[in-house]
Amino acid sequence: MTKFYEGMAEIFEVEPEAITPEFDLTNANADWDSLAIVSTIALVDDCFNVTLDGESLAACKTIGDIEALVAKAGKE
Amino acid sequence: MSLPIGREVRVGGARIAGLVSCVPSRQLTNDHFGEMFGQDKVDDVIKMIGVQTRRWADEATTTRDLCRRAGEDLLAKLGWEASSVDALIFVSQTPDFRLPATACALQADLGISPNCIAFDINLGCSGYPYALWLGMTMVQTGAARRVLLAVGDTISKIVDPSDRATALLFGDAGTVTAIEQGDAQDQAHFILGSDGRGATNLIVPKGGFKDYSLSNDPRLAGKDAACLYMDGGQIFNFTLRSVPPLVERTAAYAETPVEDHDYFLFHQANLFMLKHLAKKSKLPAEKTPFNIDQFGNTSCASIPLLMTTSIAEQLKQRRCRLGMIGFGVGYSWASASLSTGPLAVADTIEL
Repeated sequence: MTKFYEGMAEIFEVEPEAITPEFDLTNANADWDSLAIVSTIALVDDCFNVTLDGESLAACKTIGDIEALVAKAGKE
Repeated sequence: MSLPIGREVRVGGARIAGLVSCVPSRQLTNDHFGEMFGQDKVDDVIKMIGVQTRRWADEATTTRDLCRRAGEDLLAKLGWEASSVDALIFVSQTPDFRLPATACALQADLGISPNCIAFDINLGCSGYPYALWLGMTMVQTGAARRVLLAVGDTISKIVDPSDRATALLFGDAGTVTAIEQGDAQDQAHFILGSDGRGATNLIVPKGGFKDYSLSNDPRLAGKDAACLYMDGGQIFNFTLRSVPPLVERTAAYAETPVEDHDYFLFHQANLFMLKHLAKKSKLPAEKTPFNIDQFGNTSCASIPLLMTTSIAEQLKQRRCRLGMIGFGVGYSWASASLSTGPLAVADTIEL
């Protein structure tokens, strides 16, 4: 998960240590907007070779939710 | 997962004689948008799309005008009599009128004989490989000996100026490519596909004969239905799914490995996306030229504009093996693998 966490830290412009499964995407500083979502789609594709759907991603509230989506998509 | 990629077609005996791109002289840098959106927001978007400056046509100038100027310049430089052109195809989503077809107006504008096949095609990002396939097929069948492909858009006229996702992204350009009879060496391979399930992800909801803004699609709430709507996430997913296999299949079908192509010319959709796609297709940077930083996303004109900007000198000097990859609105996608050059004309002009 390291590469994924580093990528997420870059997207949110925070320190890599700040990214945990509990990291709140919906807090005002996170800016979970369409740009962040598109960046995350690319990052997940890079890290896990999985293409996430933008709408499901937009509904995620934490990094853990994204990880759950990846795990689910990887099984399909 | 193997997705259907498209119709595979080989066309022989036709070649590109030359091409000219015409861009508006009016240039808009990112500073122009700072006041509207705030510099921070502009910077965020630019980091993703990579557009530094773009050309926007003024109110009086249309795609037809850009193509007319490009066509005049091309005919003069090739030394082609207008009367020798047998067909003119206009590929655009920004015609002068809902009717009549802009191709007919351009036939008269350019002084081409009435003994001319002329019609419009409504395609965007995938339009250039489609145009080449059709123009070359017309030459192959003998329907036409010389064909002009007028391919361009002025998307600046349909973006919502308050929507930063699209207002910053698009630029205007009109191009004309001349196709003529070639010889047995001229073999072009095309893959052409469509998936209308993505129709509403990149759409101008209103202005044709159906009003999609009445559909209760929640994504359109509060948007101007006469302007372009783009669901960036969906478009990005479509591109990720379809483009890497399209690159791979195009090389396989043409029996020319990806690395034996001099250049892969991608529709200039968005810099972040292009870099991601190139990386995924294992294409080195020197084989995937970009000009989105200078011209924005110019819709169907982006591939010919790359030919007259980023690789114009190479195309004038020698024969190059080109891959072309167009994808987007429709959804529609098309690719080409062909050898072209040395070209007598590969120029960019301003109007």
